[in-house]
Amino acid sequence: MKKLACFALLIMLAAGTLPAQKSEITVPLRFDQYYSLDQIFEALRALNKAYPQLTTLETVGKSEEGRPIMALTVNNPKTGSALDKPGMYVDGNMHGNEIQGGDISLYLVDYMLGNYGKNPEMTSLVDKTCFYVVPVVNVDGRFHFMTDANSPDSNRSLRIPVDDDKDGLIDEDPPDDLDGDGNICTMRKKDPFGQFKTDPEDPRLMVRVKPGEKGEWTMLGEEGIDNDGDGQINEDGPGYVDPNRNWGFDWAPSYVQGGSGEYPFSGVGLKALAEWTMTKTNIAFAWSFHNNGGMILRGPSRKGLGEYPPQDVAVYDYLGKQGERIIPGYRYLISWKDLYTTYGDSGEWITQTMGAYFYCAEVFQGESEAFKGVSERPEPGTSREEAVRGIFSEGVSDRERIKFSDNVVQGELYKPWKPFKHPDYGDIEIGGWVKLSSRLGAPFMIKDLVHRNAMAVLFSAKNLPDVALEVTDVKALGGNLFRIRTRLANPKAMPSMSYLAQKVNLYPKDMLKVGGAGAKVVAGGLLLDPYRDQVVYKKYRPELQFLVVPGFGKVEHQFLVEGKGDVTLRYESRHGGKLTKTVKLE
Amino acid sequence: MTLRRPASFLIPFILCLALGPLAAADLTFDRYHKPEELAAAVQDLARANPGFVKVHILAKSPGGRELVLLEVGPETAKTAKSLPAVFIAANMEGTVPISGEAALYLAKLICEKADLRSDRTWYILPCGNPDAASGYFDKPQRRDARNAAPRNDDQDDQIDEDGPDDLDGDGLITQMRVKDPEGAWIAVPGEPRLMKKADGSKGEKGVWKLYPEGLDNDGDGQINEDGPGGVNIGTSFPHLFNYHAPNSGPWPGSEAETFALLKFFDVHREVGLTFVFGEANFCLNPPRSSRKGDADLNQIKVPENMAGFINADPNRTYTIAEIMDMVRPLVPPGMEVTEGLVAGFLGLGAAVNPLDDDLKFYKELSDKYKEFLKAGKLDGKRLDPAPDKDGSLELYAYYHLGLPSFALDFWTLPEVKEEKAADEITPEKLEKMTNDEFIALGEEKIDAFLKASGAPEQFKAKQVIEGLKGGMMDTKKMAEMMKQMPKKPSEEGADPKEKALLAWSDKELGGKGFVAWKPFKHSTLGDVEIGGAVPFTDNTPPAKMVDALLKGQVPWALEIAKKMARIKIADVVVQRLGAGVYEVKVWIENTGDLPYPTAMGRRDERILPVIVTLSGQGFEIVQGKKRSLVPAVPARGSQLVTWIVRAAKPVKLEVKAETQVAWGDSRTVDLGGAK
Repeated sequence: MKKLACFALLIMLAAGTLPAQKSEITVPLRFDQYYSLDQIFEALRALNKAYPQLTTLETVGKSEEGRPIMALTVNNPKTGSALDKPGMYVDGNMHGNEIQGGDISLYLVDYMLGNYGKNPEMTSLVDKTCFYVVPVVNVDGRFHFMTDANSPDSNRSLRIPVDDDKDGLIDEDPPDDLDGDGNICTMRKKDPFGQFKTDPEDPRLMVRVKPGEKGEWTMLGEEGIDNDGDGQINEDGPGYVDPNRNWGFDWAPSYVQGGSGEYPFSGVGLKALAEWTMTKTNIAFAWSFHNNGGMILRGPSRKGLGEYPPQDVAVYDYLGKQGERIIPGYRYLISWKDLYTTYGDSGEWITQTMGAYFYCAEVFQGESEAFKGVSERPEPGTSREEAVRGIFSEGVSDRERIKFSDNVVQGELYKPWKPFKHPDYGDIEIGGWVKLSSRLGAPFMIKDLVHRNAMAVLFSAKNLPDVALEVTDVKALGGNLFRIRTRLANPKAMPSMSYLAQKVNLYPKDMLKVGGAGAKVVAGGLLLDPYRDQVVYKKYRPELQFLVVPGFGKVEHQFLVEGKGDVTLRYESRHGGKLTKTVKLE
Repeated sequence: MTLRRPASFLIPFILCLALGPLAAADLTFDRYHKPEELAAAVQDLARANPGFVKVHILAKSPGGRELVLLEVGPETAKTAKSLPAVFIAANMEGTVPISGEAALYLAKLICEKADLRSDRTWYILPCGNPDAASGYFDKPQRRDARNAAPRNDDQDDQIDEDGPDDLDGDGLITQMRVKDPEGAWIAVPGEPRLMKKADGSKGEKGVWKLYPEGLDNDGDGQINEDGPGGVNIGTSFPHLFNYHAPNSGPWPGSEAETFALLKFFDVHREVGLTFVFGEANFCLNPPRSSRKGDADLNQIKVPENMAGFINADPNRTYTIAEIMDMVRPLVPPGMEVTEGLVAGFLGLGAAVNPLDDDLKFYKELSDKYKEFLKAGKLDGKRLDPAPDKDGSLELYAYYHLGLPSFALDFWTLPEVKEEKAADEITPEKLEKMTNDEFIALGEEKIDAFLKASGAPEQFKAKQVIEGLKGGMMDTKKMAEMMKQMPKKPSEEGADPKEKALLAWSDKELGGKGFVAWKPFKHSTLGDVEIGGAVPFTDNTPPAKMVDALLKGQVPWALEIAKKMARIKIADVVVQRLGAGVYEVKVWIENTGDLPYPTAMGRRDERILPVIVTLSGQGFEIVQGKKRSLVPAVPARGSQLVTWIVRAAKPVKLEVKAETQVAWGDSRTVDLGGAK
């Protein structure tokens, strides 16, 4: 409906010209409502202002409509530069309508820094780790979702025009907010031949008629008219290019999978974000927050990619099962197997191109809005099959949800049916679930959701590699020859390089370099057994060893060094940090 | 030492020194042009023909070279094109100098002949991989398809630190062979210049180890394991992209050269036909159809965990159409069920083989191309063109853009004629001959036979004939002896391509295509020999041959371009139904020899349907759509669109058929009028 759209546009333009409202966002942040895009930016600036020593705020790129994509880096420069520490990357709101990720990201930073210097766990974590936080990936999407009329499922796309109905006109028939209430609800029409009838338990709901029963309603889909007069309604809205199908790894064209875009990284903001993250070579783990269903998903995202190496699976299993306990009701699952196949998603990109571990969290469970108090989810430890069935079962019925809406949030989630004169269908009714329902918990539940999800991030952050370099032995062998033994130990779950990255030879392994002005490494290699003196010597360039420090483990080396004076041992790792030790030969 | 190239900022200066202005008529094809010279030639064509030639700079390579695209046609002044376009890319791998010459040759032809450019736009990219293409002109010559992006091939502490070295200073990077107890190679017995892998089952024992010419520059025990260069642009496109391969780059589009083209095709939806000049040839052989993929859309198994959702039997197979029928009742009202949706849901993956309907036109055109070559006397037997490569532009253009895509190569080595004469005498034949039959062959043939079977010099036909006549010998005994004799050393086991190269070098290049093995004192390997095939000998003919090769082959691109799908309105019939109501029938035809669109184009739904509209005043459509969509029109075929319209008074209607890649048509129709 063009008139309404024009009207909405006018209001938006007018709003844009108003002087900016005075900021009311202060640290510590409050999590009692969903932030608009501007409020997210405001909150980021507030955090940056409150913790100038520990944070850096930057724009990593611009979206299709020119909005900034902002990243907040948390790093304590007093304990080392960002790239010298293991990195944790967190993003959210890749799909425009899946807004909770933005709020979770903000909470994570607000919580860590608010407790820095007070809670020893947080102090130590912030001092050891670098966090990269991008609260809103799809900035246009969040803006339009919050500002425009939408359904809970609309406005996921990047703002790349696509001719969905292949008629030569682009984005010409989107849904229309016919009653002007800011929601794209549902249309129904009285029809004795319809497939639905009024639910005998709740007159606002409808149920399918059984064979032989008389129909009462025909459901007409989302609110809208036939804008282009082609006999179809709402068949060509903005986009659709799915921001989580447009990434460069294992990308497939849209005939293989809808919404992938014309080519990988056709999204300008996504491309900028990917290029920026690629410079953050210390990112060892990444979380991306979507909604919904209550899942902690790991890859592979497609069966054909093959299972990840078993040592990586062990890391995922360890952290994922803890995640299930930190966020009760959530299930740790495998993306392709338990959900569906995807191509070109951000998780596989991060896993395979950056060599980091990755979880996609599908936050929020409909069950939490059931009107019966207790979740009926199976307990942790139940079989995978059962868990998957649980995720995909109806979960909570409309009858439960509408009672929740009525009694817990005073009817906010459901719009009563109201008559409307539709240009194509004539007399119809508009009503049903509103924009901020279904995928988004009621605002009073936000704090619990953001806290628990942020804690799951922190648990994995505490398991980033934490490598210590120790010289375990310096022994004079006579003449000017010395034997030096070293140990690199890591008490955390994650290895200093993922086994997938090792398998595909993604980047150089960790290096241990030994040298000194008056010393020459004659031989050096992996010390397999210090007691039986078993060493695998490296023939060429023994002063430079390539290695990986495993999770919950160690790796030892032995060097035969000829000379005198200081010998420096330097450990350099993308994910395990950088360390130096010096020993004196005498 | 690693290879040095002039710093990129120097290139414009070097160019200014090297090149004067060049008019189209001055263009000759008796030498190979450097990428910078190709770019300059393109700029000159634009300068000389400002009315119909325009230059686009698409990107800058990591080596600082521009990706220069030539646009020729009547719409160079317009951003939005109304005419279809043909896109030609050349030398995407950067290792095929003649392909760039071919593109320039085509550009010249089109500039010279107005009728070739009157009804379409030509986009010509003479060098898609300029960094790699410059290697042919480097000293030493460098045949490496990778652009100048740095890459740590051996994932050590240094980047691009151990490339090839021209140890013998002949300006060429050839091979080194070194005697080694662990060597796997031996010289080919019949042709000691060539090497082959020793075959233990035949009692052969390896003698040599083979290395590319070079040093262990970084002292890690390996030779030439991390030379300069990053990504092969020719295999960096999204269809069947090889992730994690050494020359691929992190993702399809990671390089500026590739990404610019991906973007270009997205923006320039008028491109309806593509050519890639290089080493593959879809004009001779249709695109490969033997790949194994996940998706056979006629035999789909529904995974168990999904079968329940759509009520399918996981133990049988379905066609995609059957599954779409099962899914349709399950989706919310208004949601369209497409192949893409179902394929995505089931994770079927991409098509990897050309669709049958498309193979038809590829095969027909291939037959015609062979006749075309025969007429031009260029049909001599030659080695097969290279097979199409995963990640190539030609495959991207077919599979993702849905266009008729033609790769074209211009030269490979002539096939070596097998010298085995049909009348050669084998022991088996000899056994069956009588003495008299053998004697009847005559002295000359018998002498030749003796020589061929390795008989001692002094053993002449005369003696043999006498022996036979005297009964001291007979054909059976001779056959027996032949079987006992040591086998004549043969070239068996030599790579046929290398054999062809050697023959070509010996016959046509005066031996300059192959460096004879010569001893050399190597810093880490000790005594080695350096020699082997000269790079580019197998894919780059001497410059003096180029003009004739291009003249005989490049015009085939023009022939195919003539066959592009062309949408016309074949006929319009109006029938009066009474009360001011009319039936309007419009036949949309494709007068081209290529389908609108390809079957693949239909599958990936990227080429829009023909959009047929009725416009005018004073009428209303009673049945039919304002914009009628005709998804496909076969080559030389037609499709009917029907409306019922109502017009109270006589009116004129305009019928329009619009496409982006196949022209279009319009017609005015009288409704009512006098009758």
